[in-house]
Amino acid sequence: MLVDAPYYIPGSLAEPAAGNPQEPRNDRPAYGRQAAALALRGGSLAVFIGVLVFFSVTAPFFLTVGNIGNVLGQSAIAGVLAIGLTIVVIGGGSNVVTGGIDLSLAANMGLSAAVYATLVQAGQGDAVAIMAALGTGLVIGAVNAAAVTLAGIVPLLATLAVMNVVAGLELVLTQNTVVPASSELLAALSASGPLGIPVLAYVLLGFTLLVAAAVQFTPLGLRLYAVGEFPQAARAAGLPVKAFVAGSFIASGLCGGIAGILSVSFLSGSTTGAGDMLLPVVVTALLGSVFSRRLVPTITGTLLSTLFVGFLINGFQLLNISSTLVSGVQGLLILLVVSATTLLRRQENI
Amino acid sequence: MVETVRGEVGDIIRLDAIVKRFGGAQALSGASMAVKRGTVHGLVGQNGAGKSTLIKLLAGLHEADEGRIEIDGKAYDRLTPHLVEELGIHFIHQDRLLVPTFTVGEALFLGREPRIAGTPFLDRALMRRRSGEILDRYFGLRLPHSALIADLSAAEKQIVQITRALLDNPKVLVFDEPTAALVRREADLLFQLIRRLRDDGVTIIYISHYLGEIAALCDTVTVLRNGRDVATLPVKQTSAAEIGALMVNREIGDLYPKPHVVAGEALLAVNALSLANRYANVSFTLHKGEVLGLTGLLGSGAKEILRTFFGLETATAGSVAVKGEPIFTATPAKATAKSLALVPEDRRRDGVALELSVTENTTLASLDRFSRGVLDRAAERRATEDLVKRLQIKTDGIEALVKTLSGGNQQKVAIAKWLSRQSEIYLLDEPTVGVDIAAKVEIYTLIGELAQRGAGIIVLSSDIEELLGVTDRILVFFRGQVTREFISSQTSTDQILSEVTGAYETLSNVG
Amino acid sequence: MPARQLSVSIPTVTRSIGRHALIAALAAVFVLFAWLAPAFLSGANLLSVLVNNFALLAIVATAMTFAVSAGGIDLSVGTAIDFASFAFVSLVLAGQPIPLAALGGLAGGVVVGLFNAVLIAGIGISPFLATLGTLFVGRSVQQLLTNGGNPVYLPPTGVPDAFRFLGHGTIVGIPVPLLVAALVIAGAWLGLSRSRFGRVVLATGIQASVVRYSGIALRRYTAATYILVSGIAAVVGLILTSTVTVYIPSSGNAFLLNAIGATFIGTTLSPHGRPNIPGTVLGVLLLSIVANGLLLSGLNFYWQQVGTGLLIFSVLAIGFANRKAAART
Repeated sequence: MLVDAPYYIPGSLAEPAAGNPQEPRNDRPAYGRQAAALALRGGSLAVFIGVLVFFSVTAPFFLTVGNIGNVLGQSAIAGVLAIGLTIVVIGGGSNVVTGGIDLSLAANMGLSAAVYATLVQAGQGDAVAIMAALGTGLVIGAVNAAAVTLAGIVPLLATLAVMNVVAGLELVLTQNTVVPASSELLAALSASGPLGIPVLAYVLLGFTLLVAAAVQFTPLGLRLYAVGEFPQAARAAGLPVKAFVAGSFIASGLCGGIAGILSVSFLSGSTTGAGDMLLPVVVTALLGSVFSRRLVPTITGTLLSTLFVGFLINGFQLLNISSTLVSGVQGLLILLVVSATTLLRRQENI
Repeated sequence: MVETVRGEVGDIIRLDAIVKRFGGAQALSGASMAVKRGTVHGLVGQNGAGKSTLIKLLAGLHEADEGRIEIDGKAYDRLTPHLVEELGIHFIHQDRLLVPTFTVGEALFLGREPRIAGTPFLDRALMRRRSGEILDRYFGLRLPHSALIADLSAAEKQIVQITRALLDNPKVLVFDEPTAALVRREADLLFQLIRRLRDDGVTIIYISHYLGEIAALCDTVTVLRNGRDVATLPVKQTSAAEIGALMVNREIGDLYPKPHVVAGEALLAVNALSLANRYANVSFTLHKGEVLGLTGLLGSGAKEILRTFFGLETATAGSVAVKGEPIFTATPAKATAKSLALVPEDRRRDGVALELSVTENTTLASLDRFSRGVLDRAAERRATEDLVKRLQIKTDGIEALVKTLSGGNQQKVAIAKWLSRQSEIYLLDEPTVGVDIAAKVEIYTLIGELAQRGAGIIVLSSDIEELLGVTDRILVFFRGQVTREFISSQTSTDQILSEVTGAYETLSNVG
Repeated sequence: MPARQLSVSIPTVTRSIGRHALIAALAAVFVLFAWLAPAFLSGANLLSVLVNNFALLAIVATAMTFAVSAGGIDLSVGTAIDFASFAFVSLVLAGQPIPLAALGGLAGGVVVGLFNAVLIAGIGISPFLATLGTLFVGRSVQQLLTNGGNPVYLPPTGVPDAFRFLGHGTIVGIPVPLLVAALVIAGAWLGLSRSRFGRVVLATGIQASVVRYSGIALRRYTAATYILVSGIAAVVGLILTSTVTVYIPSSGNAFLLNAIGATFIGTTLSPHGRPNIPGTVLGVLLLSIVANGLLLSGLNFYWQQVGTGLLIFSVLAIGFANRKAAART
């Protein structure tokens, strides 16, 4: 129906606009901007591949199917969280202070994991526990959504406050202890799948594929980008801006719930310290945008950036380098990437 | 006496005796407008006359307190944005509401995206093809598939925005100040397009500050003043001057109150100044008490010259001297130290801080004056009060935020900032864009006063009449060079226009 | 007519509640805890609130207020605290006199600010990303310096008594940390709301391009802001080290989120929602009283965090909802 809507074609416009030469267009900015984006994207991919090559040469075990599968499996939790954050960043715009950000994601994962593990330990079945964990994530997302769209609190602060509450609730629930858990689902998740690759790796890939399809290839996703980048334009196009923003926080909350279940399976229980995941996940999600042509956050870009960090940690482990250095590398990377973007942009403005 | 055209059967839109109050303030007090099908209908009025309220009402964004709205012969109690769109009325806003990182296809189809049959997925190929076709065939616009909105020129974005509206098969298109960001040639292109749309049966409502545009483009014009319509006239039977007089309710003769000032010693001497790819070999001298005009098409170098003086660009050759002393201004900080002052074109971005108070804006460039270890806030207030009085800035107190002021009064604050610093050389970049007529006259008066006090003023403007009215001399820029100098009192608009555009044709014939 | 008056006065009332949400919340928690826990009102307890809960966070939040005023944020305040602490401890261990070691500690913190200044004012990276990068790099640097993150203890003997003065000393009966906090707050208030520098910082945060077009050396001010932030934060590093006589890598980050929270809670005090020192201080006071009061009222330790979070959330919600209402009229 949409496709077949008749186009308004003014008769007198049907002749090509002769005798009406276009103002000669200055192609430089477009060319410069695209070249800059290309350079950055190419550069980032080159660094990614370079790192892979370096590790595969220095650590022979690195480039085996088993190891790659391990990296994928170990990256699953961070990946799901980073994808959740990416959805919020797309829907809220990439200005991190006033735009979209969800600081409650890591705490959300912690609480959802605690809820899941506690229920399983209390003898509840998987169905109840899964519903409760996902429900926890959704409720947290809904609270964020309400705080941002109804109360009008900037996302950075709203999710910061929610983070405190959620982290507190997790402590109340677990009394700051490890809650061990085992169930059929957990056993299935922590097993190995085809090719001896962990099931979690398949979960990550499947999840990414699903979300990427929805965000990058449907009208809904396109509208989410419009809402985030230029809310007035989205409003003018008749889109319900607030509903999209609220939806992005709820989706991110759901990702927190999913990550919670995955973390219980990965660690055979709920553990404390989920909050430590927060800043690495933020960096990962923000780094992801260099892998896109338009330098915007994308789901696939976030996956690449998650895997990049995963391979770094893995490579460092194989080479017996302290993996604590990964945070430094991540920090330097984000500074390098952002500096490059900024400098390229400035050059093109001259 | 002015003859007023009242509503007839052929009217597509009739707004009758509309009243709209906001709290205690009456924005519209019985405004009427009847728009005949298939015509271009102009809507003019000073800021605050009720134009935007009337248009927002028509867009379904406000609800009228009293009055009657009829569209296509049918009366409506209440319009909503959705209903208005269904009725075929579309709005082209002055801010181009397109997402910068979208491709042209995505921007065109946002909100009504085609899907691949039987799937929930976007049909990008179709979007690309359709958008390419329609832009090329009907607007002669060929853009690379990968071009993003951010890469387009202002006029191209405008065309994309209009095309968005055309996809809905509109009956009425409302243009709100569409030329504010366009250069003259781009505006001409837009006018041709509007005429063709009209010939094809689309009704156009055209809102503009530029009376010349109204006279050239519209069939009928409605003038609003103080919340009601004072006249609806066929444009053929009136003139820009008459429309202007109706808007302000006074004769337009005193629009340019220019005092006679004898130019004094040289203030700013420019010698063979060049900036690669922007302008070359520009020389002139600005004297005390003199008002010098600059004009030219976009990219002619006139704007870049002003930016160079203020340290926003760095010249590649030549020299600038203030009072005989050579200066090298690499930053705005160094330029202001040499008594230069720039009132930038983008007032709301660069000229005034909207969320700061009138006082905080006024003293921002001269904080040294008020700083004795700590800020002397009483002195700040005194200085601001003086300037508010002197420039007749209409504000709800000096602690009011500048965003609450009208465009003209914001511009006066942007100028007051430099008066507080007692700058001597004023660079005014399009000083009256988006300013209503009453405030324009006040700004012109102020320019005259500054000249009388011995300041030197450079006015860059694309409004030739304005330049002729306020300046002593005018330099015309073309492709980075000063092609001619005019004495304002001995020159006509046509002469300058032909220099600005005529030179263009001569050169492009040669090239 | 009466209906019209009512419709005008309701928003006015809600706005004044919104404006004073912070003060109302402070009064409410004060009364609540005085009622729940009699020990709360004792002089010793109130002093302990000020010294143990309030002083250090107040200094960090004051620093943060400058960054937020300038339209940015500084996620690396904790890194500045850590670097100051590390430099201080190292110099004391190396046998340097305490005053010199303290100066060295301050310099250690300022290094972080210089790094931020280059990134933000020099290259033009957004403050959030720049300081996030600094936070990550800083964490790794500390791990490299400490063999993978081992704390650096000062031996119980052989360290001059002067070392403990900053954390445990008193001047005319007033604990030094509190005194330092008061001085920092007073200086910051003068600097931010009564000086040329503060006005430029404020204007930068509101509309940076206007500052540049007003002939002000914008970058210099931006650089100075982030250096100042780290300098103020470094003071906390010194006091903290002197109190606990140990340097623990990456421990300064504990202040980060509360400092941001207090700063933004403080913005609800200003009619235009601007960051301001009195608001920030009241915000810190609120957080401190709640932390202490919940502890005293015998509530489960873990509920404290929930309570604090809910309180911050409510103050922000009222403050922002009110600002939204004000913007609409």
